[in-house]
Amino acid sequence: MKVLAMVLAGGRGERLYPLTRDRAKPAVTFGGIYRIIDFTLSNCINSDIRRIYVLTQYRSISLHRHIQFGWSILSAPLGEFIEIIPAQQRIDEHWYQGTADALFQNIYTLQEGMPDLVLILSGDHIYKMDYRKMVASHLEKGADLTVAAIRTGREHSREFGVIEVDRDWRIIGFDEKPEEPKTIPGDPEGILASMGVYVFNMELLVKRLIEDARADSSHDFGRDIIPSMIGKDRVFAFDFRQGDRGGTKYWRDVGTIDAYYDANMDLISVTPQLNLYDAEWPILTYQPPYPPAKTVWAEEARMGTALNSIVSNGCIISGGSVKRSILSPNVMIHSHAEIEDSILLEGVDIGRYGKIRRTIVDKEVRIPQGMEIGYNLNEDARRFTVTASGIVVVPKGIRL
Amino acid sequence: MPKNLLFLMGVVFSYGIIDNGPMKKKVLVVEDEEGLRLLYEEELKAEGYEVITAKNGKEAIHQLEAGKPDLIVLDIVMPVMDGIEALGRILGKDRKIPIILNTSYTGYQQDFMSWAADAYLTKSSDLSELKDKVKELLEKGKTG
Repeated sequence: MKVLAMVLAGGRGERLYPLTRDRAKPAVTFGGIYRIIDFTLSNCINSDIRRIYVLTQYRSISLHRHIQFGWSILSAPLGEFIEIIPAQQRIDEHWYQGTADALFQNIYTLQEGMPDLVLILSGDHIYKMDYRKMVASHLEKGADLTVAAIRTGREHSREFGVIEVDRDWRIIGFDEKPEEPKTIPGDPEGILASMGVYVFNMELLVKRLIEDARADSSHDFGRDIIPSMIGKDRVFAFDFRQGDRGGTKYWRDVGTIDAYYDANMDLISVTPQLNLYDAEWPILTYQPPYPPAKTVWAEEARMGTALNSIVSNGCIISGGSVKRSILSPNVMIHSHAEIEDSILLEGVDIGRYGKIRRTIVDKEVRIPQGMEIGYNLNEDARRFTVTASGIVVVPKGIRL
Repeated sequence: MPKNLLFLMGVVFSYGIIDNGPMKKKVLVVEDEEGLRLLYEEELKAEGYEVITAKNGKEAIHQLEAGKPDLIVLDIVMPVMDGIEALGRILGKDRKIPIILNTSYTGYQQDFMSWAADAYLTKSSDLSELKDKVKELLEKGKTG
């Protein structure tokens, strides 16, 4: 059974602004050393799916570089690849108009590969899933399309495509972000949310993409393709619990700054919901060859410390203190600086006596000596993005 | 007098049915072989359509914008730009326009993009199948 993965990595991630000002959402750093797309790509490799196309469009330079540096790990002579396909405007002169349009514009790619099944994934989500189990379920049910579904509370229905199933998990309804969702049979408070993970029989996918391309449509899998197939084709849901590698039902969209912050902070808890330590399910990434992290100065008045934190390679905590924070590679904390509950991305430099709390500092930003961020949100809001829950974001390229 | 009346009736008749001015449907014939192009043009004109032509895919895209046809009869094997590539680009500009692929080869049916055409016909000296398809697709467009 020849399976081809198509990873949709064109998401603009507008609600993650300003983290997505210079990069597509899949290229946003997560957990110190990872990019969001690493989770989907690692799932593919760990599921033994080694023919992977990544479809990009907006602000893709950072993503291209990451995949080139970190993911040139497969063997072309064995027919394996991770290949980036930028929007080529080969058919249409416009940007992709929706997820289905992104696939339609690349049907030449399917023609070349001639897979039996196409696994359509989003590069926007963080989770650990064995796609082989989903493919097995697809084949077992004789499905034309299988949609991965996660159980969540009905109060979240406005955030997801909500799936309605019968007793055999055949999909009989699909509503994009409904106010009054159809609940799970036997669970009036639960709904099945689409994870944006699809297994398609290739020929039928091509037919449905073409029909959609020629119709008045928003060209979206959730809004158009799936509803058009229900009742006509064999469309089934796959329970994420059966393929969840972590066993914690962990799946995050990290669509907003607050969700991004919370998902990062989960990683510094004693037992995170997202387990990065499963040796059988490594999360691969690219790391520049920095030396190991280091703390210096251990005098009473000048102590370099990091507590309940993630500290990546290349960091030097030089006489400052770091608590409950995540430091990406090559971060420098100078003497008497205090960092709490914050996320510092690669190359950030915090000057002496700087105080940073509940703040995300984007790459390469230098915080000058004595500056305080996160202590006076009204003041911060004049210069930075401040979210509803009070998280400050200091954007890339800012000169302070 | 009766002769004149007959003539007049003929004018009214033809005006009402065939030469109905702005209602006349326009067909774009894309064909590199001159003989065939003329043949299709004549035969479709005789059916009451206005016909514009193009010699290859590139010209077809130009004619799509300049001539605003209601339907396209599209050859596949052509110099400059073939019909399969033109089909994709045409849909990029007008996703609704009916397209008939008209070719001497059956192999292109394995080409996914050919599935986007409304019909795939194999060239024949008998043009009745082509004429029927043109009529059917234009009628469909009228009701839909």
